[in-house]
This record gives sequence, C-alpha cells and structure tokens, in this order.
Amino acid sequence: MLHTRQVVFYAPKRGNADAEWEDGAAAAPAQAGRGPRFAVADGATQGFGSARWAQQLVAGFVGDQGAPPDLAVDALHHWASDVQERWRDDPRLSGATDLQRLKQATVGSFATFLGCELRDLTGPRPRWAAVALGDAVLFHVREHRVVAQFPRIAPEEFGSNPDGVPTGAAALAELIGRARFADGDLADGDLLYLATDAFAQWVTVADRRDPRALWSTLAGLDHPEAFRGLVRGRRAAGEMVNDDVTLMRVRLERSPATHLVVCL
Amino acid sequence: MEKYRQSVSRSEPGCVVILLDRSDSMKLAWGRTGASLAEGAALAVNNILLDMCIKATTEVNAPVRHYFDVGIFSYGARLTDPGEGVESAFGGALAGRGLVPLPELAEHPVAVREEPSIDVMPVSARMPVWVDPVHGYRTPMCQAIAVAGAHVFDWAAAHPDSFPPIVVNITDGMVTDSPYDGATLEDWVRRLTSIETNDGATLFFNVFLSPFEVTEIVFPSDPTGLPAPGPDLFALSSPLPPPMVDNARVDGYDVRPGARGLAFNVGRSTLLRVLQIGTRVPDRAR
Repeated sequence: MLHTRQVVFYAPKRGNADAEWEDGAAAAPAQAGRGPRFAVADGATQGFGSARWAQQLVAGFVGDQGAPPDLAVDALHHWASDVQERWRDDPRLSGATDLQRLKQATVGSFATFLGCELRDLTGPRPRWAAVALGDAVLFHVREHRVVAQFPRIAPEEFGSNPDGVPTGAAALAELIGRARFADGDLADGDLLYLATDAFAQWVTVADRRDPRALWSTLAGLDHPEAFRGLVRGRRAAGEMVNDDVTLMRVRLERSPATHLVVCL
Repeated sequence: MEKYRQSVSRSEPGCVVILLDRSDSMKLAWGRTGASLAEGAALAVNNILLDMCIKATTEVNAPVRHYFDVGIFSYGARLTDPGEGVESAFGGALAGRGLVPLPELAEHPVAVREEPSIDVMPVSARMPVWVDPVHGYRTPMCQAIAVAGAHVFDWAAAHPDSFPPIVVNITDGMVTDSPYDGATLEDWVRRLTSIETNDGATLFFNVFLSPFEVTEIVFPSDPTGLPAPGPDLFALSSPLPPPMVDNARVDGYDVRPGARGLAFNVGRSTLLRVLQIGTRVPDRAR
C-alpha cells in the first residue's frame, strides 16, 4: 500500500499581498469509490473574482463542494456548469459596485486547471490519472528524474495556451472538450508535483540544465519561506516570470506518516 | 536584459498619459457619426479610462487596484482659464490634477450618463465620464509635451522598476507652437522619450484623426506613402515594443518589423482599439 503526504507552497506576484494570490490548490483523502485527489488552478489576472473561481474549481474537484466529477468530458462539463452557477450566485456579490457588476457580466473569469486522482494505492498497480486544461503541469519524478510531464509543454510554449475553464456558460462546452487526460504507474518513493504556469515553466528549463539539483531542491523544500526564497531568487535572476506561483508536492511512500509538520 | 517586459502590479504600477487636442479644428464632423472629432475623441478617452478601471477591478468588496497612474492633458482651448494653452483635462474633484492613481480616478468621474456606442450602432449605455469635448484656438502641442514631460519625469524617478510611461497624443492637426521655449517639436519629443525606467524609455504614440472617410493606416513600419503630416508623425512615434506588437496582432493588425506607434486618419472605433493596444502592458492573463 502507498501512503500520500502532500504540501502546498505558494507565492503571490512580487509587489502583491498574499490575499491577492489568484491561484487555487486543494487536496482530499480517498473517499468512497475513489482515491485521493489533488488539484491546482490559476485564475486569470485580468478577470473578476479570479481567486474565488480558481478556489471553487479545485475545491469542487477534490469533493469539498458536493459530488466531485469523474475524469471524463461529460462529467467535467456537468460539474463545471454547477461550479459556474455557484460562482455567479455568490451571496457576496450583493455588495458589488456598478464597476464590479459590469466586469462580472462582461468579462468574468477564467482559470487553467489541473486535477489528479491516485488510484489503486492498496492494490497491485497504483497509478495516477489526471485532467488538464491549460498550462498548469504535473511532473512525475522518480529518483531525481522526470518519468512523466503532463501536459507536455516546452518552456517557450507557456503563456500561449488558450485552454482553461471560463465562468461564462457560452464557451464552456468547447473548452471542456479540449481537456486532456493522462495516467501513469506509481512506485514507492515517487513524487508528484503540480505547478501553475510560471513555476512550471521555470521547472522545465531547470530540468534541462541540471535535473538532479532541481529535483533535490524541490524534494527538500521544508518551509514556506524556503519556497518563497527560491521564487524570489529566480525572479530576481530573470528566470521566473513575475506571476502568482503554486507548487503542490505529493510524496508516495509505503510507510505512513509518523508526524505532522506545522510551519510557523 | 530585454526591455518592456515588466508587468503591472500595485508596487510597480504603470503610467499612461493622454495628450488631447482641443484645437478649433476638432469641431469638424467625424465621418458619418454626426458627432464632432472632439466628441468622438472624448468618448474614446472615457472608454479607455473605463477599460483601465475595469481591468483593475478584481473582486467584490475590494477597491480598484492601483495598477496605473493616469494623466489627461488637453491643448488648445482651456476650460479653467479661458484662452489657449495646456491644462489637466480632468474636472470635478480631480480638476487641475496631473497624474491621478487609478482608484481615485474610478471614484471621481465628473458624471455618469447615457453615452452613444463608440461604433455607429443604435445603442447607448450609462457610463462614467471624465473628459468632456471642447474645441477652440490653435494647437500648442510642444507645450503639451513639455507639461506632460515634467509629470512623466517625476513619475519615472519614483518608479524606476515599472513599465515605462506611455504617452498617447491624439490630434487632428499641425503643431502651431514649434519652436516652444527654444526647442522644436522634435526636441520636445526627444526629451520626453529620453525619460526612462529600468524597463525602457518612455513611449510616445500618435493618433491622427481624420474628419474624412479615407484609408486608415495603423502601425506602419515605413513612412512611404503617408500624406503630410504623416511622415513627420512617423518619425516622432516610438517603435511598438514586443508586447504591444503582440497586442496588435491579436487584434488582427498586420504588424511588420519596425512598426511605429502611429495611427493615421483613424475613425472612431479604430481610435478606441489603438488606445486599447497602446495602453495594454505585459500580463500573464489569458
């Protein structure tokens, strides 16, 4: 049997406060009929209510807001329609100004999305299955080497992919239809990293340069400040775009966790 | 290091300055719209300010974000001290102000009223108004650049890491005050565009309006074929930096290498599109 231990690191754009971080990340343990789930999303900077949208998507996918969707186009479409309704009918919007109402109605929001479920962790063939819309990326790493990258995006292709989940109903079916799916086998000691675009783009470059150094560093991150120090340094060096960044690390091991770490 | 790559944030806001021609010729009718050049230009400026406010509106119960400092300077007829000259085009609570932070701008339109569509469509919408149409006198463009330049200089000094200031000059006529204070129009533009942040030099774009329905020329890469004063405006206009080339291409313009921030003989809807392209700075937003 494989156990999972996950941690989420994040940082807002340089110059913005934590409250302005517009990505989302969520995880949930196995529930009846399905394995543990993990998701990250990246809300559009120029959207309205993007942080809420990204957060509702990831929370919904892992099952924190009603029944989570199966990893299939029809199920995802039905589920995303429900999330859209909740986003539009948010009671907080009763206090919106004219400008805010105008932006919600005319622009709305949009988020890239990456969701992952681990399956058969107690069985003979543990594996991951994932769905992606846009350029948030899953890296499956074993012994400091990438076993799989999903979706496969070259460094220069980040930021140009138009796929994601919109808040507007009109475009939903077409965009969900562009969802990509993948899966892979898991082994004891494997690591899964789910990253939003700016961090994922840097990872793809750093992996070409020195994979052992990269994956040792990421596997060893043990405090939010260590992550933020890494991000600050790469931004200052011009290696990482100044965008909200999120990295979820999921460690798979035969031995269960023996202690809980709380960072202060 | 590549220039013109800085995205806007509250700690590194951008700066947009519009120079608005309010000379006498702006009273001419603009194509078949039934409105004057001055009315069309004011409408486009109000639209672009609303666009900027909308972009910086991100969530309920949150103020408009301070992503830009904005200045509108008019030249020609003055409102506050009747006669010819240059002044801040803001009215009401913002009257006389130079560069105004976007959240304050959003709070203080001079009015919210029914305005016609920017295109020739039989629709209108209630929208905030910051600038009213005015026309009269000659075209003191040099003085306008001098006044705006002083504000831009102070702003760039205070924001060394920001995307450089963007100055958009909307005019329908020939400069009438060159040389001004011992310097020609070219000198004033050179002074303006020598003001830099670490991300690049100030951008100076020109939009030349035409009352006639003639062929529009947008973001040319060559002055050949431009009627007067097109070649002069071409020489004065900054090359479009890569992010704005991308903006223009997304909007369907065939932008060639060496393209300048110049739009010539533009109609009303083109004016708004050009303003949108010229004021959109790098962003990771999809």
